[in-house]
Amino acid sequence: MKILIIEDERELVKSMAQYLRQESYVCEVAYTAGEADEKILLFEYDCILLDINLPDGNGLKILETLKAKQKTDGVIIITARNSVEDKVVGLNLGADDYLAKPFFLPELAARVSAVIRRRHFNGSNRITFHEIAVDLLGKTLHVNEQPVELTRKEYDLLVFLLANRNRVVSKNAIAEHLSGDDAELLDKFDFIYTHMKNLKRKLADAGSGDYIKTVYGLGYKFAE
Amino acid sequence: MRLLQVSLRTLLLYSLLLVIVSIPISFLSISAILNHEVDETLEMQSEQFLKHVKGFEYLEDLERDLIVLDQLTYNVHIKPAPGATPGQTFETLYIYDSLEQEDRPYRMLASVVQIKGQPYRLTISMSLVDNYQLLNAIGLVQAVLIVALAGGLLFINRSLSRRLWKPFYKTLDNLKAYEVDKNETIDTAQTRISEFDDLNKTIGTLTERNRKIFLQQKEFIEDAAHELQTPIAVFQAKLDLLMQQPGLSESAAEIISRLENTAQRMSRLNKNLLLLSKIDNRQFSQAERIELDALVREHVVKLKPRAEENGLSLVESLKPFVITTNRTLMEVLATNLLHNAILHTASGGSIFVTVEPGKLEVSNTGTPLQSPERIFDRFRKESSSNRGSGLGLAIVKKICENFGYQVSYAFVDGNHTFSIRFPQ
Repeated sequence: MKILIIEDERELVKSMAQYLRQESYVCEVAYTAGEADEKILLFEYDCILLDINLPDGNGLKILETLKAKQKTDGVIIITARNSVEDKVVGLNLGADDYLAKPFFLPELAARVSAVIRRRHFNGSNRITFHEIAVDLLGKTLHVNEQPVELTRKEYDLLVFLLANRNRVVSKNAIAEHLSGDDAELLDKFDFIYTHMKNLKRKLADAGSGDYIKTVYGLGYKFAE
Repeated sequence: MRLLQVSLRTLLLYSLLLVIVSIPISFLSISAILNHEVDETLEMQSEQFLKHVKGFEYLEDLERDLIVLDQLTYNVHIKPAPGATPGQTFETLYIYDSLEQEDRPYRMLASVVQIKGQPYRLTISMSLVDNYQLLNAIGLVQAVLIVALAGGLLFINRSLSRRLWKPFYKTLDNLKAYEVDKNETIDTAQTRISEFDDLNKTIGTLTERNRKIFLQQKEFIEDAAHELQTPIAVFQAKLDLLMQQPGLSESAAEIISRLENTAQRMSRLNKNLLLLSKIDNRQFSQAERIELDALVREHVVKLKPRAEENGLSLVESLKPFVITTNRTLMEVLATNLLHNAILHTASGGSIFVTVEPGKLEVSNTGTPLQSPERIFDRFRKESSSNRGSGLGLAIVKKICENFGYQVSYAFVDGNHTFSIRFPQ
């Protein structure tokens, strides 16, 4: 899977690339709109992470170019503006998703994974991990081919963890992912603990291995 | 007191004083001149009379003729005055006039003269009625002058203040209406008075400079908040990577976790600052019809579990209300009010949300605040809680100001109540 990161802040690019590479994505970088134009012309990408504010031009122009060339690359707009207008314009121009700075890297990974899966639809849209199989279209979980009932939050939690396999995901990132701005209201993360406990119990009951590990003081990690 | 009234008052006072002083002075001087004139006439008449009498001194019975003369003439009287010493005296007398049935003023010259070696008292008198009429006329003219002067001054002053000072008052009104965050520039029309033009020019320059500084300041806040997003994003990303390091000790993990909480707070604070300055810069249009009750219901449903986790009951009473406004800002408004209520209600308390036509109200149980008047101020918190950016209510107020809604806070019957009234 190839990802193009178009972003002028080098430190941020480095971190994004480093995090995404662990997911076995191949990351390429364009620091300017000019570089980005070249790369888009020459290569196909599965996902493009596009910063709207570039030193040599507006990122939305790149989006227009993509659309004009009928490229099918999935695009996630990244911006520091967090303005609704940018979001609306971007999504209207064919962007698949929108992420406001600052963001959690696990959140970025989850969005990238969702965009790529949506584009590589071809028949089945499933994430599998050993005996666990998640159907993203039907939003259902099967363990050892047996359906497991999950609440909406538990399902979201599982997909989020699966998109960040083998990496530590902080409670803050999970809270933000599950409840957005309302995360501010969650006090001691009892909320996450409850959902996590229920999810783990349901997985165990269905005969799945114990893949969700608690990382003391930090959060959780989905790993072998 | 208006500037013109002060100058008018002084002018009027001075003119009145002058006129009042001039009345007795002119009266006295004119009457003195008139008296002097009358006296001269009397003296001349008296000399003429004596000259004529001297011409008749050869007559034997002049004495008897003089007695007849005394009887016949009205203005001239001559009587023998034995033993009187020669001399002249003038005096003003009031003599009863039987015709007019009143006392009338006369000027009289009494002189002792020698006729045929005998002393006689000669008195010649002259009516002063005409002179008095003249004096009255002068007094009347003076009085008319006072009235005309005062009236004229008042009239001129009024028309002056209407006409001459019109540009000044216009500038004053413009200044009063001027709001640095609203008006483009202050409107200063050209006048014919150089001082006013100067004043207008100065005010124009001053307000323009202030406006520029204000705009720069606003822009700076937005730019600063905006520029901070990227470093915070880098910071957050590095923390996410740091977490992945193998072999982190528990204490290191704890520190990273704390750092992440702080990064979250920074991020939230910054987003709110950005939002606040964006509303300030009027970057939100107001052109969508929104069912406010549905919008609020959506948020209430979403937040009910949060409230219940905190041991709070969230009760809503939502009646249909459609309003033309900006959806994003209405969502921010509802979210901030509900977040505020959930964050600041003690466990076991209740939150009530009401939507009625023209009104949105959120109230929660609690204890009175120490300084309720500052509740909408930025970064104003009465609890030491770390939660909440301290900008939520400031944003609520800003949104309301932006759209002309009335927002108010009151503590009634143990409830903190925020109500927003929408113009219908």
